[in-house]
Amino acid sequence: MPADSSVVSPGTVVSDEKTVAALRAGDERTFRELFSRSYPMMKRVARAYAVSDAVAEEIVQETWVAVVTGIDRFEGRSALTTWIFSILTNQAKTHSAREKRAVPFSCVAPGEVAEPAVNPDRFQKHDDAWPGHWATPPRPWQKPERRLLSLEARDRLKAALAGLPDRQRLIVGLRDVEGHSSEEVCDLLGLSQENQRVLLHRGRSRLRAILDEYLEGSDA
Amino acid sequence: MHESGLPHDGHSAGEIDPSDEVTCQQLVELVTGYVEGALQPRTMNHVEEHLVVCDFCVTYVEQMRATIATLQGLEKHGSPEPPASALAALQARRAAGA
Repeated sequence: MPADSSVVSPGTVVSDEKTVAALRAGDERTFRELFSRSYPMMKRVARAYAVSDAVAEEIVQETWVAVVTGIDRFEGRSALTTWIFSILTNQAKTHSAREKRAVPFSCVAPGEVAEPAVNPDRFQKHDDAWPGHWATPPRPWQKPERRLLSLEARDRLKAALAGLPDRQRLIVGLRDVEGHSSEEVCDLLGLSQENQRVLLHRGRSRLRAILDEYLEGSDA
Repeated sequence: MHESGLPHDGHSAGEIDPSDEVTCQQLVELVTGYVEGALQPRTMNHVEEHLVVCDFCVTYVEQMRATIATLQGLEKHGSPEPPASALAALQARRAAGA
C-alpha cells in the first residue's frame, strides 16, 4: 500500500497528509469520515480476536481514542490505515492475553489442518475405475437465483458465516461481504496472498456445503 | 498477526501441480484460485480442460460462484456513532489549538 493514501473502503483514496493534519486540529468531519470508512473492517478484525461482539466493539472504541490522542506520534512512515490497524491489533492482543484466548493468526485452530473442501468419500478411491473423480457428484441447485435470495437462505448463510473458524470468518467477511480486494486484506493483516487464499477457500467451501445441504433439504 | 500458523498441505487453495490432468478431487481444491484468476497458466489450462468434459465440476464451480454472489448480497457492517470518548479527545484537541 502506498504510504500516501489511506484505502479502507473499495474505491476510496484520501490523502494521508490532509487527514492527519485535520485530525491533529481536531476536525470532527474528517474524523467521522475516517471512522465510518474504517469501522466495518476494524470491527471484523477485532471480532476475530475477541470472545464476543461487545469485546470487539470495546477494542475498536479504544483504538479510536488511541488514534486521536496519539496522532502526533504518527510519522508517516507507513500508510495511516496501516498505523491504525497496528494499534487495533495491539489492543486486540492485549484483550486476548487478558482473556487467555489464543490470538487467531498465531496458531493453527483444530480442524483447520488439511481440511478438504469436499468429503473424500464423495470421490472414487484408488481401486475404482476413475480414481479422484466424483463417486457422489454434486446435484445442480434448482432455481438457485430465486431461492438464494430468500430471507431464509440468507439467514442460513449469515449463521453459517458466523460459525466459521475465526480466521476464515474474517477473510470471507472482508473479501466477499465487505468487498475488499485481496491486496487490501493481505496488506492490513500481514498475510501472504497464498495464505489468504487458503483461508478464503476453506471458508467458502464450507459455506457452499452448508448451502448445498440447505437447498437439497428444502423444496425447490 | 503473522502467518506462521497456516499450514501448507495438499488441501490448500494453492497450486497442486497436476502433472497432466486434474481430477475432480483436485479441482474442488483449485476452485478458489480458479475463480480468483490466481492459478499458474499451466494449472489454469488443466482446470479449463477438465471443465470442458466434466459437467459435475461445472455444477460445483457454479455453486461456488452462487455462494460468493449470495455472500456479496449480505448486509455489510454498518457504522455506528463514533465513541463519545474519541469525540471528547477530538474536542480537547480543538480546545488546545484554539
